[in-house]
Amino acid sequence: MGSRDQILARIKSNKPELIDLPQIDTSVFKDEDLDLIKEFIKKVEVVGGNVVEATSNADVIQQIKANFPDTKNNFSQLKDADGFNTLNLETIQNPHELKDLDVLVLESKIGVAENGSVWLADDDIPVRVLPFITKHLAVVITKQAIVAYMHEAYKKLSETKADYGVFLAGPSKTADIEQSLVIGAHGALSLTIFLK
Amino acid sequence: MKVGLFIPCYINQLYPQVGKATLELLEKLNVQVAYPSGQTCCGQPMANSGYESDSVGACNNFVELFKGFDYIVTPSGSCAYHVKKHYNIIPQSEDVINVRNNVYELCDFILNVLKIKDFGASFPYKVGVHKSCHGLRGLRLGSCSEVVGERYSYIEELLQHTKGVEIMPLKRSDECCGFGGTFAVTEEAVSVKMGKDKIKDHLDSGVEVITATDTSCLMHLEGLVTRNNQPLKVLHIAEILNSNL
Amino acid sequence: MSHSQLASIFNKDEKKVDWHDKALWFVRHKRDLSVHNVKGWEELRNLGHGIKAHMLSNLDNYLIEFEANALKNGVQVHWAANAEEHNKIVHSIIKENKAKKVVKSKSMLTEECHLNPHLEADGIEVIDTDLGERIVQLAKEPPSHIVLPAIHKNKHEVDELFQEHLGTKPCDGDPQYLTGEARKHLRQKFIEADVAITGVNFAIADTGGFVVCTNEGNADMGAHLAPVHIACMGVEKIIPKQEHLGVFLRLLARSATGQPITTYSSHFKKPRKGEKMHIVIVDNGRSEQLSRPDFRASLHCIRCGACMNTCPIYRRSGGHSYDATIPGPIGSILSPGKDLTKHSTLPFASTLCGSCSDVCPVKIDIHAQLYKWRQIITKETPQPFVKKQSMKAMGKIFAKPSQFEKVGKVARWSLRNLPKSLINSKLNTWGQARDLPSGPKQSFDQWYEERQNNKKD
Repeated sequence: MGSRDQILARIKSNKPELIDLPQIDTSVFKDEDLDLIKEFIKKVEVVGGNVVEATSNADVIQQIKANFPDTKNNFSQLKDADGFNTLNLETIQNPHELKDLDVLVLESKIGVAENGSVWLADDDIPVRVLPFITKHLAVVITKQAIVAYMHEAYKKLSETKADYGVFLAGPSKTADIEQSLVIGAHGALSLTIFLK
Repeated sequence: MKVGLFIPCYINQLYPQVGKATLELLEKLNVQVAYPSGQTCCGQPMANSGYESDSVGACNNFVELFKGFDYIVTPSGSCAYHVKKHYNIIPQSEDVINVRNNVYELCDFILNVLKIKDFGASFPYKVGVHKSCHGLRGLRLGSCSEVVGERYSYIEELLQHTKGVEIMPLKRSDECCGFGGTFAVTEEAVSVKMGKDKIKDHLDSGVEVITATDTSCLMHLEGLVTRNNQPLKVLHIAEILNSNL
Repeated sequence: MSHSQLASIFNKDEKKVDWHDKALWFVRHKRDLSVHNVKGWEELRNLGHGIKAHMLSNLDNYLIEFEANALKNGVQVHWAANAEEHNKIVHSIIKENKAKKVVKSKSMLTEECHLNPHLEADGIEVIDTDLGERIVQLAKEPPSHIVLPAIHKNKHEVDELFQEHLGTKPCDGDPQYLTGEARKHLRQKFIEADVAITGVNFAIADTGGFVVCTNEGNADMGAHLAPVHIACMGVEKIIPKQEHLGVFLRLLARSATGQPITTYSSHFKKPRKGEKMHIVIVDNGRSEQLSRPDFRASLHCIRCGACMNTCPIYRRSGGHSYDATIPGPIGSILSPGKDLTKHSTLPFASTLCGSCSDVCPVKIDIHAQLYKWRQIITKETPQPFVKKQSMKAMGKIFAKPSQFEKVGKVARWSLRNLPKSLINSKLNTWGQARDLPSGPKQSFDQWYEERQNNKKD
């Protein structure tokens, strides 16, 4: 018997009698007075990001250009942002070539108010390493895409199929040196959420 | 209502004043208290040290003495918890089940069985409450800081109705004092450090008297206070509630 | 050495103990601020407990389901009965790919299996990429905490370590500068890596996917750049459905650090186009722990570290005093299952205060399990003669009231009459730093008897 069958056999004989799987009743978590957008903004700030309002994609690009005037390598997934992009992903052979990316703009279809995270999946990220390797990350999301809790986010996700996806909350951070919070560990140094 | 008083071994031998205060207080509250003779120990010291089987004799003695009572009251959250939680090592006769169900820590009994809060006690001091762990997290004599929910504390509720008491806030409201039975000796360094930190929290808050539902924690803290000549008095809650200062 | 011996060494530097205690209490405090604002938190904990208990009761079937779905996703699945097999499997994947440079993100399982020395012996470079893990790797120490691996080091020690190994400038322990330098150093390692190894926080049976949580982004940097990704998981990491992540991701980071969620909760299902993904499923004693009804709930653990942050003993003895891969309360109920004799002092490194059980996001009855391990350890491992005999003697004394009375009298007399120097002598551990009570003339029993007699008179 290989290890697989041995392990499974041991587990089978050692496990307790079947215990029922509890059902998740999300009504116990609901806060009827919750202002979704306010809560989302508050939590994005808690996790180290910032939120700005935007009227259109063009507005987003304009604001980014104003905030990051001297960047060399920019890429955006937004539809009408051609003038912004300095690199063509189709010519990228290896994700390593993205290492000097300064600013990346992506779109998210789900935001979670309780923790300020946004969902980014393969559909939204042409190369998986993009939101991690970029120095600065901007994510555009509509107000309608904000849900209150993770339970609702997963309900939405059950209708989609992603080969890879990430709930991303704020810029990368660490507190491994004496519990001092430092923004910018391995991933993005800053995160700006544009709320449309 | 037949009420039996259990006085834990170390209180009986080392802190008889706590037993006296408990008995007098219950009598003041018009409870007919019996003190069955032949009491020893609930069995906890052996059991917590990993020698549960050596505690069976103590368990049997306890059940034998207290089986006839409607309520068993004791000035110790820890002993009450031990009887409730760990008397599963002896056969579960009706007597054992009754004893386990009917054992109460003193404050719990006064507040939730007698349903009395104000009985004219007065104690004009700044009091720091040490929430002994077995009472707090075992018997749930109060809410602990880890668990989300309504805040309550039986001992504080009784103190709030004691004239003159000022309950002082602590930075760490329910951290363990470091006694832990034989832990106090086998893990001496950490035990002492925990006790010192606990005392510092009380001193920093301006506490004059530390109190608790358990004399075991207080013995450990008092040992440190005395050794280090610190300006603190240590009293069991029964002694405060029995006061008329 | 026993836990108490290592703990007393740690306690020789009281300032360091204070600092360690405060740093971890701060994390526990952040956890409180965070969870007390979540409506239904206790219900979430119940769900976490219930889902894990159910999972364990059907684990073999969920593993089979997980494997089938992972294979469908184009992931290669391996099974390892123990640490040695795990290391061999990982090594062979690395060799197959002619790889020399490995980046690893935090994984307690690979620590448990001692993977690094195994690979390094074959000339493979293994770089731990979590900042805290990198710090302890450079210091050649094991992590002292499962979430905050370098919590025992202060910033000046990190400063010196980085000067020595990374050639940084002296910076008076500036965390911002040190983190920035580590970022540059590890960026290079990510770019050069041939293989990325990650742990697994949750593996989802019904999708074959798995989730890895980090704050730094190191798991993703590794996995998305290297051509080969190896994910190592213990069998107990399975959850039945993706929707259950809604429960566990709400519990995990809040319990660990007070964050509402980790910065990155990455859901891996299929490898990148043209690249490879492997999952190694490891038993290494877990199925045995599953066989123990009193202890199987220890397998619920989601490795948040909250029991360490809350434990008054852990905070004052340091993670290394446990001499085990997983330190603290949860480690003290897991480790005896692996080696009862080696870890026999760990269940006694507790006052049974119960804070660990109340803070645990999946409601493991940690302190109750500590109590139960104590009962087993005293029977199955050699115990000091004195301890054993004194417990027996106490048992007899407490079983017989007449005996108890005699012994009590002697004890009280001694406390009253013997000189303090004798009472607090070296033989009396209690008395090293604490006074004993003064020993009253009359016991409660005697007082009561007298009172009853007076009443009769």
